[in-house]
Formats: sequence, structure tokens, C-alpha cells
Amino acid sequence: MSNTTRKILPSLITASFVACVGAATTVVQAEGASPAPLAPLDSIKMPIPPDNKQSDAKTELGKLLFFDPRLGGDASVSCSSCHDPEQGWAWAEDFSRGYPGTTHWRNSQSIINSQYMERQFWAGAAASGERQAPAAAKGGVAGNGENDIMEARLALIPDYVKRFKDVFGDEWPLIGNAWRAIAAYERTLIQTDTPLDKYLKGDKKALNEEQLRGKAIYEGKGGCIECHSGALTTNQEYVNIGVPPSKRWQKDGLAQITFRFEQYAKGQTEKGYRKAKSDWGLYYRTKNDWDKGKFRVPSLRYNTYTAPYMHNGVFFTLEEVVDFYNKGGIDEEGNTTLFPDNKDKRIKPLGLTDDEKSDLLAFLEAFSGEEMVTPKPKLPEYAPLFTKAELEAVKK
Amino acid sequence: MVNNVAKKNTLRKSLLVIPLAFAMSCAFNVANAEKLPELKINKAKAELGKRLFFDKRLSGDAAISCATCHDPEKGYGTDKALSPGYPGNGHFRNSQGLINTAHKKVWLHDGRLGTSLNDVTREMITEDYIMNMDMRIMQERVKQDPKYVEMFKAAGYGEPSNGSVRKAIPEYLKTLTSKNSPYDAGKMSDSAKAGEKVFKDKGCVSCHSGALFSDGKAHNTGVPENFDVFLDPMNHQAFIAFAMFQGIENYMNLKRDPGAYVQWKKADKSNMGTFMTPSLRELTQTAPYMHNGMIKTLEEVVDFYNKGGGEDSHKDAAMKPLNLKDQEKKDLVAFLKSLSGDKLTGADYVWSEKYSGEYPVIADWNNKPN
Repeated sequence: MSNTTRKILPSLITASFVACVGAATTVVQAEGASPAPLAPLDSIKMPIPPDNKQSDAKTELGKLLFFDPRLGGDASVSCSSCHDPEQGWAWAEDFSRGYPGTTHWRNSQSIINSQYMERQFWAGAAASGERQAPAAAKGGVAGNGENDIMEARLALIPDYVKRFKDVFGDEWPLIGNAWRAIAAYERTLIQTDTPLDKYLKGDKKALNEEQLRGKAIYEGKGGCIECHSGALTTNQEYVNIGVPPSKRWQKDGLAQITFRFEQYAKGQTEKGYRKAKSDWGLYYRTKNDWDKGKFRVPSLRYNTYTAPYMHNGVFFTLEEVVDFYNKGGIDEEGNTTLFPDNKDKRIKPLGLTDDEKSDLLAFLEAFSGEEMVTPKPKLPEYAPLFTKAELEAVKK
Repeated sequence: MVNNVAKKNTLRKSLLVIPLAFAMSCAFNVANAEKLPELKINKAKAELGKRLFFDKRLSGDAAISCATCHDPEKGYGTDKALSPGYPGNGHFRNSQGLINTAHKKVWLHDGRLGTSLNDVTREMITEDYIMNMDMRIMQERVKQDPKYVEMFKAAGYGEPSNGSVRKAIPEYLKTLTSKNSPYDAGKMSDSAKAGEKVFKDKGCVSCHSGALFSDGKAHNTGVPENFDVFLDPMNHQAFIAFAMFQGIENYMNLKRDPGAYVQWKKADKSNMGTFMTPSLRELTQTAPYMHNGMIKTLEEVVDFYNKGGGEDSHKDAAMKPLNLKDQEKKDLVAFLKSLSGDKLTGADYVWSEKYSGEYPVIADWNNKPN
């Protein structure tokens, strides 16, 4: 979406907006082009695939499925297990919780506003919500489900059989349509009434003095707007900002297992498998050296509820995040990415004062509205497909 | 495989018409009833396989091991009609006892694997309704356990890999063979000896032949369906997933176990409901019986055959009422029991050391190659 909404203006930017975009980013911003200004979320349209139109019946079904653990390997984890409404529609630990017996290796991202994005996952591995849902439900350290048994379970839940028939016309539920329904439901999980949105739509009282000063830093000295631009507060590019590897890999056996598994799962070479000591990010998709350590710029919306931050959740507070940027993409212990050559040139010490940091943090609060929670729906139950009489009547 | 079944059926039908030839065929089969051959076992590999067999970390959610459905106390099967299956679902068949499985050439009730126990091991570990394990995760779990790293090395496998797991478990399974059965030891009771004669004379031996007491082929004996497969959605979902995966048409309406039909899917469906002849060894440890656990005792099994089996339009032609006298039935049961030996429990067969509750950390991780 940002491509269509970004206004390509002549270069009129200040010195702090170092315009040199890393040549390696996949979505190349024209050199010198200024970033799209912040905009109300409802100024852009939710992209809806032509083969998966929205309907109330579909989103209702999608909601049930989102919360249904039977769409997972051992019927104990649902989408909502790692994208818990009570935890910002994400998971409030550095790594997502993972399938029982495992841990994940990346931070769980919030579902709120996620369906505006062009691609899903931290390195953009899925082209749509319809593709993200099965990848998560089937991934070994996420849902660990398989199509055949998940589809079989749906067929044995009469309420789902009826709903799938009503919505999709299937005689029996098809697992592919479950992902469509879930994506349709996720498209309803948006927040357009944050203080930022109100301010941008003309309510000048929606931001206080401190936040207005923070906005100026965001758009000026802080350079945040370079990437966190437009209505979504992300240009959706892939950037290495210097996030250090998670320390979990040095002290948690379970995390070490998943780390190595992911090297396989993401198509790493034998050599890479042996030597990888951090998440190589976009590299797994492109196999370009210059994409190592790059991740998609996340939206800053709903951030009040989505700690911890970064693809590996290394920062538990926004204060840490701001300090990290202020130091030029280096954490308080001096750690940074293992691929410093790929680190974006725009990431450099900002020289923010304590007051400026505090203003910036106040402004970041304006990206979130009220917490969005929903009671977990009552899930429909299994029922036998045949009666005993029907079974007895079978002629063999 | 099924070609052979078909040939065998045809052959047997023609033999039945000629009693003399049939008798000769029996004699031929009886001559084959030798002792199970000795298996050469690599101790280090078998020991590793033993540890893996009892390790719950070989299943997706680390909740079940091979031994969950193949319990040493139950002849490496279970005492339930239907196997428990993976958490979150049930199962649709009886868990087979594994004693002597290393002597088989074809595995599973429907005989769908006829290559090696290596492939059977893979199937059991990775199948979603059984252990639901992504073997790449399994390999990394194994590599995280220093004891395994040591044992794989000692076994000559080098670095732990999922390929070696699939070799080590079959090596362990070779240690699970009949031990001290009265039949093998030549210590059968008079009743058992009389039963052996019934066994041969009444044609049991025509399918239950050889040292394993199995022809390794699929037959339809008309075993009734276990309705729990279809009436319990937990079991039925596993069945549907299986039937879907096997490419059986109209699987949502399927109300019977297709058995070895999955191998060739004959257009006339004449191999629907055929199942591999099970071994008769170690039966006292592995009740209940049949592919779906529908028969609880050996006495009832004998009654079932005495009636000529169950109802099925494709029932094997060899299944005829046997008209056994009560004493003959008793003797036959005594013979069947004489084919069972010791329980294979205790440290020689069962991994008894505890597994670590947590995966140890690989120290100095940053500086070690993965």
C-alpha cells in the first residue's frame, strides 16, 4: 500500500534525512525522495483479494477458526495462542511461545492492522493473510498441523460444515477456505481512531504539547519517518537497523534447537547452517549476502500493547528502543547486528537529549488507541458423522 | 504385493478343488515352519535405538514415545482395541505387537510398507495422527542431548541425524524376538501338540505359515468393523485423514476400513477389507486381536474361525466353517498359547534411565559451529 500512497516529491529534505537508501533494499525508494507523511489509517483502503471478498458470515466463521485449537497439530494451539488478544494480539515474550515442546525463534507480531501489509511475516515470507495463516498453522514450531487432519476435524464439526457450505459452497469444509475465512476476519481487526489519527484528521487537541514536540523529532532529528512513514507507519521495506542477535540462543537449549531447525526450514545451505549465529532475515528468501539481517519495517501502530519489540523481541520497552536508535543501532552493551556491512546507512547516532527522548516516547503513545479485546467465542463441538444404524446397514 | 495376493487366492481356490494337492500344499507349508533365524545385532546401535524408542521427544509435542502405543508390558502393543494415536486425535486400528517385527518383510495391517523398518519408523514418527514429528526438529532435539551425541558416535553414525535415528530404531527392534516359547523350546503340552495337529489339518497353516506363522499376505476374513472408529470423532478424524492421504475416493462416506485396498485400489474393490495375516507368535501378550481389536480372547478368535469368519462378499474362499469339537478348540488355543514366550521387559529391552527434563545448553554457542 505504501507504494501507492507514497508521494514522490522533489528532494526538499533536511540534512538529517540522509537519503541514501541501502542499495540492497528490495523496494527501492527513489534516491532523495521524501518519505510519505504520516496519514490517518482510514485514508488507505484495506486490500481485499478478488477471490476472497469480505462478508459477515465469512468473518464470523474466521473468528471461530482463529480461536479454534483444532487447527493445529495436537489440537491445543490456535492462531490466538500466539496472537492473544490479551497480549496485543501477539505474545508478550521475546520469542513467540511456539508449539508444545518447542519455542519459536521470532517475536509474534500483532494481528491488529496486519492485513493492510503487502506481505506477512518478519521477512515477508507470505504474500497475503491467506498464505500466512497456513504457514503458521503448519509450521513445526508454531501450529504443527497438517492439512489432512485439520480438514478432517472441520468435517466432524457440524456447525463448521454448515458455515463453510453457506460461505464457500463446499460440500465439506476445505482447509484452504479456512485460511480465507481467517484472513477475512483479520481484515476486520483494525484500529483507525488513535490519537494520531484524530490529530491528522484535524483534531489538534488529540496530541498534547509533549507529543507535538515528539512528532517534530519523529519527522526531523530522529529520522523515524524515513522508514516509519505513511498511514501504516511503515514503508514496508527490508532494512538492517543493527538489531543484535537474541541472547536466548546462548543460554536456552530449546531455543538452540529451534534456531538450527529454522536454518533447515528456511532453506539454508549446509555451510550457512554450520555458521549462522543470528537470524539472517530477508536472506532466507533472496539468498543475497546483502540481505542478511534485514527485516521488514514494522508498523508502529498499536505499539502500547505489543512489547517486546524487534523481530527477536530483544527490547522489552520503547525506552530501550529509542536508546538503541539514539546510539545508532547499538544496544546498551554495545551489541549490534552480525552483518554490520548491511546496516542501513541512515542508522547513526541521533544525539537526542533526555527531554527529546521523552517527547518522542510520548508521541509514540499516540499510535495506539484503546486496547482491543474480544471475548473468546464458544467453539462448536464435534459430532459423529454416522449413526450406528447407518454403520450397521453397510453391506460389505 | 497385491498381485501376489491375487495369485495366491487363485492358486488356493484351485487347490481347494483338488484335496490331494491341498494336502500337499499343507505339507509344504508345515515343512516351512522352522524356527526364526538368528539376527545379527550391533549392540551400540541397538542400545541407541532403545533410548530413542522410549523417548517422548521423538513426537511433535514431546508427549508420546514409540512405547506409548507399543508398550513392553503389552507385547509392545496396547491392550485397547484401538491404538491411542497422537494427542488431539485417536486412531482407527489396533496397535500391533512389535516382537518379531524385524522378521517381517511387509508391515502394518494394510501392508502398505514393504521396504524396510527404516521406512516404517519414518512413517510412524512423521505421520500426523501418530507422532506428528517434523524430523528436522527431531534431529535438532537429538543433537541437543549430549548423551545422544555420545551414543551416535559410539554407534558409528557420527553426528546425530534423522537418517541415523531411522537406522538405530530398527536395530533395536531386532532385539525384540520371541524368547523361550514352549513351541521353540520343544516343551509343548499334550494339548498344544494336539492343537498343532488341528492347526495343520484344518488349514490354519495355509495362511499362518512359516516361522512367523504368517504368509505375509493380505486376506479378507470378514472381521466386523469396529464402530468406535466411526462413532468417535477423535478416531474418525484420524481415519478420514488417513483415507484422504491414501487417495481413496469418496472418503467422507467411507464406513469401513479399506485395509490393503490402499495398495492397489482395485477397480472391482475385491481387495477392500483385506488385511495382512498377522503373526501368531506372542499372542498371549497382545490381546485384543485383529486389525481393529474386535476380538478380545483367543477362544473367541477360534470361535470366529470355526464359524468360517465374518460376513463379507469378498471374504477369502478358504474361510469355511471348521466344525471343531470343543476339545479341538481347546487344543488349538493351547497350541496358540505355546507360541508365546517371555515378556521382553527389564533393562535388556527397556530404556530405564531418566531423560533430562530440559535440553542442556550448548555452551560457548557463539564460537561453536552448529
